[in-house]
Amino acid sequence: MFEAAEINAEHKDLIHDVAYDFYGNRMATCSSDQYVKVWDQIGNEKWTLTSSWKAHSGSVWKVTWAHPEFGQVLATCSFDRTAAVWEEIIGETPGPGERGTRHWVRRTNLVDSRTSVTDVKFGPKCLGLQLATCSADGIIRIYEAPDVMNLSQWTLQHEITCKLSCSCLSWNPSLTNNHPQMIAVGSDDNTAQTGKVFIFEYSENSRRWMKIETIITIMEPVHDISFAPNLGRSYHILAVATKDVKIINLTPIKDNSSIQSGLTKLDVQTVAQFTDHTCTVWRASWNVTGTVLATSGDDGCVRMFKMNYINSWKPVTVLKGDGAVIPNDAHRGSIASSTGVLTPPITQTARYIKLGSISQPRDLPWH
Amino acid sequence: MSTISVLQEGPVNALALNKDNSQVAIGGRNVFKVYSIEEDCFKEICNLRASKHLNLSFSCNDVAWSSTDDNYLATAATNGHVCVWNLTKSGKAMQEQVYQEHKRTVNKVNFHSSEPYRLISGSQDGTMRYFDMRCKAAVATFLSNTESVRDVQFSPHMPHTFAAVSENGSVQLWDVRRTEKCIQQFTAHSGPIFACDWHPEATWLATASRDKTIKVWDLTTSKPTLDYTIHTIASIGHVKWRPQRKYHIASCALVVDCSINIWDIRRPFIPFAAFNEHKDIASGVAWRGDSQVFLSTSRDCSLIQHSFKDASRPASKANIQALDISTKGNTLFGMRVPVSTNTTKPTGLMRKSSTSTISDQFHQSASVLHQFTHVSVCNDLSSFEFLAKNYILYGRSFPEMCEHNAAVAKECGKSNISTIWKIVNTMYGELYVKIQAMHNNGGLNLMNNVDASSTEKKNNDVVGEAAAAQFSSADDDVEGEDQVDHTAVANGYHTYNKYGHPKGDFSFGENELDLELDALSIDYRNGMRNQNQLQQQEDWTLPNEAFNIRHEIRDRSPPPEQFPNNNSPDFNDDSHSSTVDEQPTWLVSVSKIPPMPIWDPSASLIESLKHHAEKGDVQTSVSVLIVLGEHRKNLKTLDENTVTHWLMGYIQTLERFRLWNVKALVIELAWIPSISQMNQQSTRINTNCSQCLKPLQRSGWLCDRCHSTDASRCSICHQVVKGLYVWCQGCSHGGHLMHMQEWFSKNKQCPTGCGHLCEYR
Repeated sequence: MFEAAEINAEHKDLIHDVAYDFYGNRMATCSSDQYVKVWDQIGNEKWTLTSSWKAHSGSVWKVTWAHPEFGQVLATCSFDRTAAVWEEIIGETPGPGERGTRHWVRRTNLVDSRTSVTDVKFGPKCLGLQLATCSADGIIRIYEAPDVMNLSQWTLQHEITCKLSCSCLSWNPSLTNNHPQMIAVGSDDNTAQTGKVFIFEYSENSRRWMKIETIITIMEPVHDISFAPNLGRSYHILAVATKDVKIINLTPIKDNSSIQSGLTKLDVQTVAQFTDHTCTVWRASWNVTGTVLATSGDDGCVRMFKMNYINSWKPVTVLKGDGAVIPNDAHRGSIASSTGVLTPPITQTARYIKLGSISQPRDLPWH
Repeated sequence: MSTISVLQEGPVNALALNKDNSQVAIGGRNVFKVYSIEEDCFKEICNLRASKHLNLSFSCNDVAWSSTDDNYLATAATNGHVCVWNLTKSGKAMQEQVYQEHKRTVNKVNFHSSEPYRLISGSQDGTMRYFDMRCKAAVATFLSNTESVRDVQFSPHMPHTFAAVSENGSVQLWDVRRTEKCIQQFTAHSGPIFACDWHPEATWLATASRDKTIKVWDLTTSKPTLDYTIHTIASIGHVKWRPQRKYHIASCALVVDCSINIWDIRRPFIPFAAFNEHKDIASGVAWRGDSQVFLSTSRDCSLIQHSFKDASRPASKANIQALDISTKGNTLFGMRVPVSTNTTKPTGLMRKSSTSTISDQFHQSASVLHQFTHVSVCNDLSSFEFLAKNYILYGRSFPEMCEHNAAVAKECGKSNISTIWKIVNTMYGELYVKIQAMHNNGGLNLMNNVDASSTEKKNNDVVGEAAAAQFSSADDDVEGEDQVDHTAVANGYHTYNKYGHPKGDFSFGENELDLELDALSIDYRNGMRNQNQLQQQEDWTLPNEAFNIRHEIRDRSPPPEQFPNNNSPDFNDDSHSSTVDEQPTWLVSVSKIPPMPIWDPSASLIESLKHHAEKGDVQTSVSVLIVLGEHRKNLKTLDENTVTHWLMGYIQTLERFRLWNVKALVIELAWIPSISQMNQQSTRINTNCSQCLKPLQRSGWLCDRCHSTDASRCSICHQVVKGLYVWCQGCSHGGHLMHMQEWFSKNKQCPTGCGHLCEYR
């Protein structure tokens, strides 16, 4: 059961992104009004606005939290062609009874893009402080802060060109060094009749990011893409929001050719496809264990999907954007999906050259 | 009309359309041409730089076309000249007038909208000059009292009024008939203003500045009011209102942004449309009479006619919804809602209005944000927390831990996980150990003492359990009730064994066994957990020390060396060939002493653990593995990478729930070096001396500088702190955790009286 509560965010334009922090006690919103707002929740009380500032000189598309190990750090990206890293600092002299004056300072402004920066995401914690951005001109950039204590110094490590305009990206959140670093990028291009989801992998051998897979079954513009948190799976799950919801399993294949080439070969399988929204799907988001997928679409609903005991995905909940919960809709949805939606899994494999086991796991101080 | 372009030999600074919008004049440092605009191309009519007598007055900062007479052009030259060109003439005579009055470069020329022959110029020298083309000299000079005038524009509404903007951020309104003083002056921007434009209908003046804003001023009243502010991504060099669209204005940037943006001033954050054809920054924009076509020049040497149908719409690419799920399973959802001007009722449904066009809807954008809070009593995430807190992972015997954890799982409704624990207990519990031991000793010692039939019963149990276990592991989500009961009985049996014969001496009669077994089974059902806890507390609870002895030591499983016998060749073949049916035969006839067939449960267990991990429930997998202790050695096919992955996954999830103690425990109990090292990283904290605030580098209790040992004392009871010491990073004072807790529940200031407001949370 869900209880809906409206939060009056008081943004003057569209809210493009919301992000909970690692623990779920804080959230950040960003909007076209160029402001970023940070909210705190103490206990189960209402969200209180703790900071609000003009972050960019263009629409702020995305906001994302860094792992709390690095401090209270946000990254934003904007139409103004920049991405920025923000850190919260607590003022020197808190007044009596006050929690202190909190404010966010811009630690760095990443100005390499020549077009709108459409997404920004921090890399998995085990890689240190890494930041990936993608922009409308189809360039993915990987930045790294060599010193995690100094957030003002970021070096552009890699530039990956992806021919199509990028709209969203997702790091593979694998927690160990067993899996090579992996990024999935989606394109909202609506002209080219090609695959719109690309998987890139960092090759330890060539010290470059290489495209290892193009998911050619997705030809529609992609609005959001999200790797499921992988706590112990041997394969990766990718959710793609396009005109419908797609759940894709990426299973690394270990064979001789992939060991020789140094690049992972992936077995790509579309395991579920839901047209429940019946219109454009804008967002896809996973819960922390990677067991529930929530998507939202133009129908103004949040729909949740869960994998059942025989490994097939089923709709479980529908939440309406105006706060109402649709009762029994899940049942209806499941019928709809089981009749029309589940297409036979499309299997494809691809061979590429390179793979490297990450030989030097980054040594990080454990706090 | 389509997008067409023509390339020039040099950068173009400005353009001007003639009054019927059929021809365009472009000017730059090395370019000065007139083109006629054809359907699909630009046709050069004349090149005014074709003359042999080129001089600096030919290089233009700005070009203007007379609004009354198609034959006259005016240019603002970089050398301070204002030139008037007569297109009917040729050669040197074309340059009809050259006014050499400005001392510095001229930024702008502008023809009067109604009076022919009249034009005005604004210059870097801070003056504006009003010319009559029939006179050799300026008819009026206006002193702006600023460094430089960047733009001058005649008002379309007030025939004698013109606006001038300057680099100091001020806007001046002048009457051409009054040269001594401006009508109105106000500071519009914090930085230089580069351009201004009068709205063709409304009494608005738009100003564009280096401060990255375009401001729209209403000048009807004596005091100008700022009606709209547009925030752009770069300094704005030019602005031009879009004809026939009251709220639209075109802008081009002076740096960074090469595109020409069309804004709806009611949505001042994101352009309504953008034209990205230019490779370098655009230097001028001119609308071709209607709202759908405009021309632009650029530093990339091109002149382009843009058609609105080729515009890109930045807002349409924007993601209009926001969604995230928190650690606790709460969902945040922000979505676009229609903003209707007359009603304020927000509805969740999209408005279906077929009549309104894109431009009508464009400015009406707002989002609502909802949080859906998980309120159900029993969900996966709350039970995760409960299980993490209540599982016992060390410090007791293996069966006890399994029993306890099974009961805990049952308590929060996870009957399948509860069953896993019971099965694990059966697989690797007391009995398993005994059978292992039996094998090691050839079965002789025990067999002699034990009644054959009881052993038989025991074995049947084992086999039954094993079969059940096998079945359940393969598909543990569909566990039958009967199995659970079965397991419960078996568990009772083990418990009996343990408490009745603590040292594992194995001798009892059948009757005795049955009696006790029944009693215990009932006991079990009536609250076995409590009883267990009671006994376990007596037996197994150890002082809560900083370094717990690993539970393996207390585990009463036989030393690991005996396990490999599992695989020893002498009975390997037998164990494979013998079947369940054969068992009674050989059990009864003890004399044979054949090796007992052992079903190795590890494969099924691994499969089961993997199943749980794949389902996102690493908690079960990791907890079972930890509790298994030494039995983990049997799980040979479970590779370390996978287990590391599970452990990391569990640890991260514990972090998310802020279950630091459980996390530390899991790390401590982890048998994989890369994980167990995590507790040994960054464990050192240097305190400060409470007297001189010097960081205590060498030891935590003696200050090198002032030789005080105060840092080791509690600032409340003044005793030396042994155990948990809490201190304030701000003032370096601290003490016993309990004392500090008590103090800060009532006070805010530091107990030492140093005046520091310690933040104790």
